Amino acid sequence: MTTALKTSQHIVLKAIFGSTMSANWPERISAFLRSPSQFLCSTTSDIFLAEVLHELRDDRASDQIKVLLLSPLLEHPTLLCPSVSVGEETALELMSVFAQCSPKSLPLRCNVLLALTSVLLCSCCVSSHTSASQDFLDLLLQMAQDTNDAQAGAALHPLRTTACDCLRELEACLPGLLSQRLELLSSLRQQENSRLHQAYTGLHALALRNAVYLLTQQKGAGAGDLKAALGSNEGFVWGEGADSAHPNSVSHSDLALFSPLTLGPMGKVPSLQTGLDCKELRSLLSSLLEESYLLTSLSQAALLRCLVEVLAMVPAVSPTIFRAQLLRLLGTCKVCLLHTTLLMKAAFTDSLFSAEDEAFLLKRLVGLSQHPLLSTPEKLFYMDCILHFPENRPISSGDESLPVLLTPRLAAALVPTVFNDSVSMLARLNLLSLVYLEEGEEDREGQGGRGLAYLYDHLTSLLRIVENQASREMVVTFFRASFLFLLHFCHVERYSEDLSQKLCDLYLRRTQLAPHFINLADRTQDRLEESGWAVALLRGLQRTITEAPLSQLTLQDLRWHLRILARVAEEGEVLQRATLNFLLCVITSSSSALCVSGDWRLGNGVLGVCRRLLLHPSLDSLLTPLADLLQHLTCHYGETDIQDHARLYYTLLTTLSQEKLAGVLAQRGTERGRQAKVRSLSAIMGETEELTSGLTVHQTERPLLRLVKLDKHEPDECKPEHKPDSEPACETESSPGQGGIEDYRAQFESSSFASEITLQYHLTHTGVHDPHFDKLFSIRLHFDLTDGHYEEVSDISVPCLFRTRKPPTVRLRLKPKQPYHTTLRASAIFTTEDGLSWHSPLADLHVAFPEVFLPLLAPLGWAREKKQRVFEGIWGEICSEQSEGDLTNAATSLFCDQLEESAVGELVEKHFQRYLVSDLDKGRCKVLFFLPPQSHVLLKVITEEDAVQVHIATDNWKLLPYINSYLEDITKEIHSTQQVNGDV
Amino acid sequence: MSVRALWIISYERGESVVVRFSRRYPTVEQRVKCMAGSLYVSVPEDGTVLQLLLTELGLSDSDKPYVALRDDCLHQQRSPALELHVEGPSGGVLWPVLVISQGPLILACLAMVDAPADPRPPLASLFSVSQGLSLLAGLQAFLCGSGSKPDREGLASRLAMMPSILLQICPLGTPLDIPQPGASSASAMPTPAGTQKQPAWKTGVHRGRAVVNVALTEMVRSMQYGNRNRQDLWDVYGTVTCKCEVEGVLPNVTVTLTLPPNGSPLMDVLVHPCVSSLDASVLTAMSVEDCDSSAFSGPYKFPFSPPLEPFRLCSYTSQVPVPPILGTYQLKNDDNQLRITVSLKLHESVRNSFEYCEAHLPFFNRDQMGSVDVKVSSGQLEVSKEKNLLVWVLGQKFPKSREVSLEGSVSFSGEFPGPTDPLCTDLTAYIKLYFRVPDLTLSGCCVDQHSVQVYSSAKPRIVTSRELLSSEYFIWNSTGTAPVSSGHMML
Repeated sequence: MTTALKTSQHIVLKAIFGSTMSANWPERISAFLRSPSQFLCSTTSDIFLAEVLHELRDDRASDQIKVLLLSPLLEHPTLLCPSVSVGEETALELMSVFAQCSPKSLPLRCNVLLALTSVLLCSCCVSSHTSASQDFLDLLLQMAQDTNDAQAGAALHPLRTTACDCLRELEACLPGLLSQRLELLSSLRQQENSRLHQAYTGLHALALRNAVYLLTQQKGAGAGDLKAALGSNEGFVWGEGADSAHPNSVSHSDLALFSPLTLGPMGKVPSLQTGLDCKELRSLLSSLLEESYLLTSLSQAALLRCLVEVLAMVPAVSPTIFRAQLLRLLGTCKVCLLHTTLLMKAAFTDSLFSAEDEAFLLKRLVGLSQHPLLSTPEKLFYMDCILHFPENRPISSGDESLPVLLTPRLAAALVPTVFNDSVSMLARLNLLSLVYLEEGEEDREGQGGRGLAYLYDHLTSLLRIVENQASREMVVTFFRASFLFLLHFCHVERYSEDLSQKLCDLYLRRTQLAPHFINLADRTQDRLEESGWAVALLRGLQRTITEAPLSQLTLQDLRWHLRILARVAEEGEVLQRATLNFLLCVITSSSSALCVSGDWRLGNGVLGVCRRLLLHPSLDSLLTPLADLLQHLTCHYGETDIQDHARLYYTLLTTLSQEKLAGVLAQRGTERGRQAKVRSLSAIMGETEELTSGLTVHQTERPLLRLVKLDKHEPDECKPEHKPDSEPACETESSPGQGGIEDYRAQFESSSFASEITLQYHLTHTGVHDPHFDKLFSIRLHFDLTDGHYEEVSDISVPCLFRTRKPPTVRLRLKPKQPYHTTLRASAIFTTEDGLSWHSPLADLHVAFPEVFLPLLAPLGWAREKKQRVFEGIWGEICSEQSEGDLTNAATSLFCDQLEESAVGELVEKHFQRYLVSDLDKGRCKVLFFLPPQSHVLLKVITEEDAVQVHIATDNWKLLPYINSYLEDITKEIHSTQQVNGDV
Repeated sequence: MSVRALWIISYERGESVVVRFSRRYPTVEQRVKCMAGSLYVSVPEDGTVLQLLLTELGLSDSDKPYVALRDDCLHQQRSPALELHVEGPSGGVLWPVLVISQGPLILACLAMVDAPADPRPPLASLFSVSQGLSLLAGLQAFLCGSGSKPDREGLASRLAMMPSILLQICPLGTPLDIPQPGASSASAMPTPAGTQKQPAWKTGVHRGRAVVNVALTEMVRSMQYGNRNRQDLWDVYGTVTCKCEVEGVLPNVTVTLTLPPNGSPLMDVLVHPCVSSLDASVLTAMSVEDCDSSAFSGPYKFPFSPPLEPFRLCSYTSQVPVPPILGTYQLKNDDNQLRITVSLKLHESVRNSFEYCEAHLPFFNRDQMGSVDVKVSSGQLEVSKEKNLLVWVLGQKFPKSREVSLEGSVSFSGEFPGPTDPLCTDLTAYIKLYFRVPDLTLSGCCVDQHSVQVYSSAKPRIVTSRELLSSEYFIWNSTGTAPVSSGHMML
């Protein structure tokens, strides 16, 4: 089978590369890496992969280009090798590239090893235990065993390091793979004296950690098993690992991917009961620790963490073996090493860290969080570590909790100042708020102490900065800081009231900050509803706006004021008389210029406030002034649209009772607050904001609909849809025999002939159950192409879809330009019962290669014999064309497989029935696939003894790889059903 | 303990924002997929990541004053890890995205979460976070070179080296090392085969004359308010930088720092990972708690085996009894003029021999300076080209009295408005001092040539040096409101 595959692939490659394609790899590769989806619109992943592999084998290409060519495989192996078989073939190709590389091309060879690792792991080859992955592992291990350059010399260091790195990654993805090789790994590590010992140490430590973890999962495993594992030198252990083909099954080795320290509930680490006898492990750990100093700090940290995990799982070995390293680690300037020390503390608490150590470490963290020589991200990280400080005796286990030892005195080092950058300032404010919140709890007065006073002072300094034309970033930071302060100290009225007052003053100076004020009010209302702070702020803003001298009011300010007042009008608790008076003043008296100008946006802003006032609980008392205002707008505003709306509101106000008015205008979804407004009829006539809500297409959070493929073909579809009615004579069987192929060809003169394939689906709901979407109407399905192989697909309309009724059938017509498999992005727009429009994405629709097949399109009434003549005719043409030279599109190939005659029967019945040109006779038959718009694939199936040969001829050589994988897939399926039957 | 993907973005105000380099690690992704199960969120393409990142960093739509997604006050970004909210059917939250930015460069990586994803584990429990931060910091140092702002060509050529750099330091998503600044020195030789294991952080061995260079640099910061209600603040931090050219695979060197009798102890000592052992007493003193006068005050011994390249052996902070220069600054509004009085006094314990000493008096939120009628008792006065800054060049020496003063008035009648600053409004103003004093440390800390021990066959040449530099040395106008710079002065 492999030979046949190779032959056909070779034809493909020869055809592709015989003439074109050479240049511009750097650009193409960078285009691919920038956006693989966009890149693959213009080609398919198979073709791109074939091109890349071909170029890699080309001796003329430079090493640099080849390294570049490997990057798609390194970074997106799953896109290029979506299946085990493609992965395996690609890996074989890469192995041969590796073998052919000049020994001097070190970077290239290293990159090939990395690409192989990526491809084999990501296409599930390793977990499927394919032969290529076995060979690759052997190769890696063989390279790794050349310690101290006994064979290849120091020049090959990079290669050997990479081999170790690859092994380590394989072990990381398939934990336990090397668990029976610990002795070898240990001795390699000990032998190596060059810098490479780091790679061996990393590999050994990880394998050790995984082996110990797997032992903890074995029932009854003990000291003996541990000793055996440490001395083991057997083969690879092929478990199901990270690239397992069964995503739902979680095996032990899957769990080993997690850090054991964070795995169990409540931080319970799985443990191996060994008794006291684990001398070997202890000495191994000591020797690893002793050499840890020789590793780079990143690798050292990784090693230490592996060892911490091992020790946490083997309680028999005391963590005090870390003691000798501890001072060095506590004094380090490297964030990764100190972090490991913290993880060590979390794992071993007081069995390694005394109370003094704990106090020291915390003080150290506070010191580091404000150290002048450290970078901001490091300091932020240390602050985060304080909030999650691993205490020896933790009292609470909340999300963010303060360590007991963090006194206000100590924390004072971290008070926020105006000199901090935004992120640090907020982090410090948060930390100190927590500190002073606790302090305040002890302070009975509930007024907070000096610390809180400081924080408030700080907030007001920020406010002053914002007043003085601060940058946008500073403004955002101030509002965030205010929100953070309120979250913690809203109950301290002294400050929250003062802040509210100060904010109002600020607003008047910087009205353009209105959106920030509204945002702050919204958020505090959501989070601190009981406190009523947001309402107080809004009330204050209303007062500020309405009491400010009108003479100083600018149009720009008014615009912002209207936004704030509209928000204020949403609050039932806030009296609206002042708002109305303000609006009346603005509209009627002083700036009659406003009415004359007829600014639509301003008018709309005024109407926005009015509209909310119409719904206000105190509407009764507002009736007269509101009516006056609306009437004035109706008569005097210089914009017809605004006049019309005002008139409508006026009519509603004066003719409807308050209940009815509320019924008509009722907007607010009670649960979801202002964010979600339910549309009502009035929205159409209402102000623009509501209008938009009614006309907006809403987005569903998850896909609600799906298309389920129907396997049955339409009964009439087997026949050609087209009747050549212009030439009725041809239909009769009496027409002369030789005309077969010409007649057949003649059909194609009509360009629309057989250019489409039709796929049928059921449109149904997905599992998401939301009664809101039980009845959907006017569904319009839209399809987007992901590549250039098909013509645009037209939308499909479905009148309705009810969860309780039978799903409607959807016919999707596709018009191929190139008959390849494809993926369509699908989405739906529909209307729910309440009249809202929704947009919902659907899962991508995959159109497989065989779905593009149509049977021979003979005019009605053609006899079997005539169809056979067409078949032979085309076959003959292909063979003769192909022998003429390379430049045609014709190609032939051969596919072989072991199949019994009965199996062949099953195969034909299952997959070829629609496309048979001749009946199955003694395991022989002829099959014709027509692939719109113009391609044919002809198969002659011949069974001999227990083997089946499929001779392939096609007038489009580009289809060969697809045909091959199709045949491979269906024969594989037959094999498996045969096997099942055999087993039964 | 790995990263899933890495991005290097160049961002310049007003210019386009581009992903200059990105790298994904599909095998790490494979592990994440397996661990996260149904909560898995794949990494979108670079263009999408860039947009999401800019929104989180508050850099998107910089022309719009308010964007809900970007500016919501609920969104409290206060940790080094960002969340990216990916939209669409396969969307979700990508976390933790670590970001370091410097000048026009933004470096970001997505760290792996090796704990059950729900509930979200604390950042501090994820090992990959500190690994990611170290990797990013290392890459940043490499890309930016020595200066704070990388030059265009240099950056481009270093970016071009990224694939080969990553091949060495992070081939499959697990960071192993950080790029070495300045490739191995010329005198580095491949290691001879021997029984001693070579440190992985050492690319070769040194051959030739043994030289040990130890340089001590102290920086002094100060905030002086000239106000009885506000305590003036100053502190010192120092670094010891070494360059050791010593033969051998793992040579031993010991550097000892000593303090004068009754000098205040070195605090917050941080050491380079090549320091092989530490005495507990070296680490005890810390700036965040009150100093104990009986505390250990040296000698501080640092035994280590040096890497080939120059490195920062250790750093410390110190609290000294007096600031080197004590100043007062007074401004008075007088009609359209500003009356200025400044006096600076050099403390008697400080050596009166500067390499340079300058006082800068910037003026914000005012027009350009018109007439400047200012007299100084020593040094020269210069007006900057932009006419918003007075530079008082004090030169190499203070006069014998160790006191200098500046007096006069400035009017702001220039045609153009000067620079703005939200902090320095009205009479809030400062003087910033810039100075360097060779061969001096305020803490009194020093490295004696004879205390440097090198255990090797050849007798090395030992060079030591020290210097004092100013850093954020502010003197605030005492007639205006000055911002608070530390909690300690309030509490």
